Amino acid sequence: MALLEVDRIVKRFGGLLAVNDVSFAVDTGEIVSMIGPNGAGKTTAFNCITGLYPLSGGDVRFGGYSLMGMPPHRITKLGIARTFQNIRLFSYMTAVDNVMVGEHCRMHAHVWDALLHTPTARNEERAVEARALQTLRKLSLERYADVYARNLPYGLQRRLEIARALASGPRLLLLDEPAAGLNPQEKVELMGVISRLRDDGLTIFLIEHDMRVVMGISDRIVVLDHGEKIAEGSPKEVREDPRVIDAYLGHGASEAMRTA
Amino acid sequence: MPDIADPQARVDLPDTGRQTRAAESSAVLWLVLAGGVLLLLLGWLLPWFVEQTASGVGHSPMDVIVSSPTGIGWLAVWAMGICMLALLAGVGYDVFAQLTERATPFRWSRIRAGLAILGGLCVLLIFILVVTRSELVFGDQTPDALTDNAVWMMLTGFGLLAFSYGLRPWVVTHGGLAFTAVAFVVGGLFPLMFNQSPGFVVWGAQFAGIYTLLALGLNVVVGFAGLLDLGYAAFFAIGAYSTASLSSAAHGIHLPFWVIIFIGAAAAGLFGALLGAPTLRLRGDYLAIVTLGFGEIVPDAARNSLFGNLARPSTGGPNGISGVDSPAFPTHGHAIFDYGLFGANPRPYYYTILILVALIVVVLRNVERSRLGRAWVAIREDEVAAAATGINTVQTKLLAFAIGASVSGFAGAFFGAMLGTVTPDNFEFAVSVTALTTVVLGGIGNITGVIVGALLVSFVIFWVLPGLQEWMGTVGNTVGISGLSTIQYSDYKYVVYGLILIGIMLLRPSGLLPSRARKVELETGAESEPLAAVRETG
Repeated sequence: MALLEVDRIVKRFGGLLAVNDVSFAVDTGEIVSMIGPNGAGKTTAFNCITGLYPLSGGDVRFGGYSLMGMPPHRITKLGIARTFQNIRLFSYMTAVDNVMVGEHCRMHAHVWDALLHTPTARNEERAVEARALQTLRKLSLERYADVYARNLPYGLQRRLEIARALASGPRLLLLDEPAAGLNPQEKVELMGVISRLRDDGLTIFLIEHDMRVVMGISDRIVVLDHGEKIAEGSPKEVREDPRVIDAYLGHGASEAMRTA
Repeated sequence: MPDIADPQARVDLPDTGRQTRAAESSAVLWLVLAGGVLLLLLGWLLPWFVEQTASGVGHSPMDVIVSSPTGIGWLAVWAMGICMLALLAGVGYDVFAQLTERATPFRWSRIRAGLAILGGLCVLLIFILVVTRSELVFGDQTPDALTDNAVWMMLTGFGLLAFSYGLRPWVVTHGGLAFTAVAFVVGGLFPLMFNQSPGFVVWGAQFAGIYTLLALGLNVVVGFAGLLDLGYAAFFAIGAYSTASLSSAAHGIHLPFWVIIFIGAAAAGLFGALLGAPTLRLRGDYLAIVTLGFGEIVPDAARNSLFGNLARPSTGGPNGISGVDSPAFPTHGHAIFDYGLFGANPRPYYYTILILVALIVVVLRNVERSRLGRAWVAIREDEVAAAATGINTVQTKLLAFAIGASVSGFAGAFFGAMLGTVTPDNFEFAVSVTALTTVVLGGIGNITGVIVGALLVSFVIFWVLPGLQEWMGTVGNTVGISGLSTIQYSDYKYVVYGLILIGIMLLRPSGLLPSRARKVELETGAESEPLAAVRETG
C-alpha cells in the first residue's frame, strides 16, 4: 500500500482553480519529485497535504488514514514533516532551539510540568536537547548550535530547516524547493543529504525546479501544469513526454523538437 | 518574515545565544549599579533638603558620627565612606575609560573587589551595631530615628554599589542570580528601611507588589506569546471579585484566603481562555480592540450586578463588596496569626506579596525555559511554520491567555483581601494601561525587565507624585512661590504614563532591559500571521 495517497484533490481560491483533480501516490522508501512551471499549483498541493489549506474536494490518505480536515500539527504528529520554499525558520531562536521546537509534538511534558519544572520536564528537556544536537550533527550543523537562525548563511538555513523537520520524527519528508538559491557545490551536498535520508528509511517527496537535482535523485516524477497533473513516471519517461515539453517550452515545442 | 537578503533587516543581534545572555547580564549590572548610586545619593542628600520630622526621611549618618562614644562605629562609618568615595571615583574612571575607549587596567578590578568587600564588612558592622544597639553609634539620637530611611538607604545603596561594581565579573556571568539576590535582600530589608514611615511599606505592598504581579502576567501574553492584550484589568477584577464573594459577609461564605487565592487565579485563567478563544484568528490591532472590549465589559457587568440579576451571587453594584476577610494563618476561624487590617499594619501584607511575586517569578522562569515557552516564541515568530512543525497553535495560545490571566487573578485575589473592599472602579481601563506601560517600559518579554518597569512606574505614580505635594509645599515656602503647593500633582499621573510611553518609544523602543531577540523582532517589525487566517483564505 502506498504511504501517501493523494486522491483527486481540488483546491479553489474563490474563482481560481489552483489544484484540479490531482491524484498520485508515494510509496514507502521512494524519492518522488513534483515539477511544473511557476504557478502550476505545486506549493498549493503541498499546503493541502500538510493541512495548511483545507481541501475543496478529494482526499489525502497517509498510511491509510484520511487527513481530511486535520489541523497541521496533527498531520505532523502522524509523521509528515515539511520545509518551506521561502525559508521559515524561527529566526530569533538559536539553531538548537529551532530543532528542539521540531520535536515539540513528540514531547510529553504537560503544563504543570512546565510550570513546576518537574523532573519529568527536566529529563525530557535534557534528552531532547541531546537528540537535537545529534540531528544537527547529522546535517553537519553542530558548530552552529548556539547561533541564531537568522545569522546563518543561506545554505545552512536551508539545511537547518531540514534538521527541524527531521526532529519531528517523520516517515514522509516534504521538501519545497530545497535547492533554491544554493550554489552548485551546495546542491551536490544537498543531493547527498537527501539520498542518505532515504537510505535511513525516510520517504521523500519534493518540489524542485533544478532539473539536475530532480533527474539525479528522483525515482519518480509528477508533473503539474495549470493545477492539473499532466504526466507521471520515471525521469526518463517524463523527460520525453511531449506534454511536459509543451508545458515548459510553449505549445508546439515538442513537435518542433521531434522534427528538428 | 524579513527578507534574509535585505541588509536593512539586519539589526544588531549578537551571533550566538551565549553572547546574548552575556549582554543581558551586563544590562542587569548597570541597572543594579545605577540603583545603588541613586539610593546612596538619596540617602545622603535627602536629609539636607527635606524637613526631617515631617517627611520621615530622617538623618544622614554623616551628621551624627562625631558623637560616637567608643569610636568603633565612628571608624566603621568613616571606613565605609572612604571605600564608597573610592568606588565612586572608580565608576567615574570607568565611564571616562569607556567614553575615551581606553581599556581598564586589570589590577584595578582587584582593588575594586577589595574595596567592595571591605566596605561590605563595614556595612555589616554598622548594621549589627544599630540593630543590637550595643553602641550608640549615632550619639544621642533615639534608636528609632537611627533605623530611619536615610541611614538604610545609604547602607543599601552602598551595598548595591559594592556588590555590582566591586564584584562585576561575577555579576556579569551570573546576571539572574545576582538580580535575585539583590531583589531579596533589598525586598526583605525594605520595611526596616522605612521603619518610621509605614506609608512606604504600604506603597510597597499595595502598588509596587500588585503592579509587579500584573506586569509579570501581562508579559506572558504580550511578551512571551506576542498577543497584545488591552483588557488585562478584567482578569484582575475577576480575581478580586472571587475573593470578595467567597470570603465576606456578602454571601455568608468564608473560605480561607490561601484557598481563595487559587480559586481566584483559576477563575481568571478560565476567563482568560474564554476570551482567548474568539481572538485566535486576530492579530495586532484587531486583537487589541477585542481585548479592550472585554476589559470594559467585566467592570460594567460588576457595576450593574449582572450576575446578581441572572442568579445569585451579586457583585454589589457600584458600591462593590466590602468587609472582605483579611488573610490569616493557617485557616480562617482558628487562626494562629491574623494579618489584621491592612491600614493598621501593612508589614505582613508586604511580606506576603513579596513571597507571591517570588513564587510567580520562579514559575514563569520555568515556563519560559520549557517546551511551552519555546512553543510561544515559535508562534510569536511564525505561526504557520510553528503549526507545520507540530505545535498545536490553538492550545498554545489559549494557554498563554490562561496563564497570563491567572497571574492577574492571583494579584486580584490578594488585592481584594488586602483592601477589604472591592468596587468596580478599581478595575478601570487605567489599570490595563498601567500594566501595559510597566511592561513596555521595563522590556517586553524579559521577566527582570518588567519587574523593574513595574517598580519604577509604581514608584513614580504612587510615591513620587503624592510626595511632590508635600515636598513642593516646603520648597514653595522657601522659594516664596506659593503656587507650587496648590498643584494637585497626583492628577498628573496620566501625563506621566503618556510621557513614559512616548519617551520609551522614541528613545528605547524595546524597553529598559529588553529581551534581545524580542528587541530585534520589534525593530524589524516581524509579525506572525495567524494560522487560522491563512487557513481561511485557503
